[in-house]
Amino acid sequence: MITAAQVEPVVPAPPAPRRRRVRWGQVAAAVALPLLLVLLWQVSAWIVQPREWILPSPATIASTGWDVRERLWYHAQWTILITIVGFALATVVGCLLAAMIARSRVAGLMLYPWIIVSQTIPLVALAPLLVLWMPDFGAMVTLAALISIFPVIVAGVDGLRSTDPELIRAVRTLGASPGWTWRHVRVPAALPRLFTGLKLAAVFAVTGAVVGELVASDRGLGALTRLSAGQFETPVTFAAVVILALIGIAMFLIVATAEWAALPYSRRGTRPGSN
Amino acid sequence: MPHGSDTEIAIRVDDVHLALGDDPPLAVLAGADLVAPAGEVTAIIGPSGCGKSTLLDVIAGLVTPDSGSVVTSSSGRPVLMPQRDALMPWRTLRDNVAAAAELRGTPRSDARALADREVAHVGLAGFGDHYPHALSGGMRQRGALARTLLAESDIWLLDEPFGALDALTRSEMHRVLVAVREQVAPTIVLVTHDIAEAVAIADSVLVASPGPMRIVSRVRVADAGPDAAHEILTSLRAAGVNA
Repeated sequence: MITAAQVEPVVPAPPAPRRRRVRWGQVAAAVALPLLLVLLWQVSAWIVQPREWILPSPATIASTGWDVRERLWYHAQWTILITIVGFALATVVGCLLAAMIARSRVAGLMLYPWIIVSQTIPLVALAPLLVLWMPDFGAMVTLAALISIFPVIVAGVDGLRSTDPELIRAVRTLGASPGWTWRHVRVPAALPRLFTGLKLAAVFAVTGAVVGELVASDRGLGALTRLSAGQFETPVTFAAVVILALIGIAMFLIVATAEWAALPYSRRGTRPGSN
Repeated sequence: MPHGSDTEIAIRVDDVHLALGDDPPLAVLAGADLVAPAGEVTAIIGPSGCGKSTLLDVIAGLVTPDSGSVVTSSSGRPVLMPQRDALMPWRTLRDNVAAAAELRGTPRSDARALADREVAHVGLAGFGDHYPHALSGGMRQRGALARTLLAESDIWLLDEPFGALDALTRSEMHRVLVAVREQVAPTIVLVTHDIAEAVAIADSVLVASPGPMRIVSRVRVADAGPDAAHEILTSLRAAGVNA
């Protein structure tokens, strides 16, 4: 047996002191721009006094939004549900398609070009058709899924094809079966890219849900923007838009958090010393 | 060729031909021969892209040659250590090394215990929980070496294993390899394009022609003595390599 004494050991560096301070300067820099714009908007609204149904001030939007909070919440629930179900559907079906395309040459030839071509169809134009064919909820979910599935497939295929061939070569000589290589090498190697696609898809799903509601529904924040704008309830429209933005941000953060949890090795700050 | 007839032969490659690709097939190996005495280090030196790595794939059984024969004395399969460390970025050093035992059917917890032992053997005690990206190039290659050790194969195929390292780290790795080798005594085939590395580590050096590859000469480092490097360089030039 070898003893450590015969191989020059690498001396572990003392663990770097972990400082997990919140950097207030960075936080301030991140929120400075939107705050400044809102402030500017509010000040100019005081000065110019535009009619409320054309351009309400941020303060009006906030107070009206608070007054109609139950109406907003009624519509928001619907949009959130459609977004989540549509995104989940896109994730599951997108990953399955990506796996088929990356795994089988024939599937790749049969499916991949057409999936790319399908993106030239303005999917928004399908909304009225989808409503004809299925119940409202199904139509909205389908539209959200259709819009968000593309980044999942592209990122999944790229990820699965990006495995380092040297890594596959090395594990094969260690006795890895194709199944082991798939589970333990190719899929984990694809995850960083897949998550990039999922973050895009999470935001696209909100767009898909809203577009469906705008065109063909009486419920959901998309429908609310159409209905309220039609009745000159402009502050309500703005409030709905703000909530939509918050839903998009939340979707992105949820996926980013999942990524952080699933890929511990890619976190920043796990690199010791100067190595 | 001057190697003692009493030495046991671990790998014998005889007149191997191989073409890769379809359109048109490209000849990669054109009658490659190789004899690796058991427990020795046999280096293959030649221009890049000449087919040295493909020859290793053939010995490892990853690629079947069109003709010719490959016989290894190894009870298990030869294990390959590529140029890049080829550690899985999503596994800690310990779990990367443990993969070698897992793939032989060892339960995961036992595999981890074995991995910790080998990690310590290559001088990385205390780094088992680190992910590869948190290690330096030399440390990652030590990790790959630990994994190779845990594969418990008596034939090691090293494909330019230190080619991506800086000169200082490379000579450190040469010392690590020599120390490990004195204990385990595997048969090693080392592909390299570095004459100094070949002379420093190998017992004999095979000079490869530009592709399609053949072995054109064999230099016993001990027999050639201080002239070994010069002899290898002369053979390379005779083979048409612009060295």
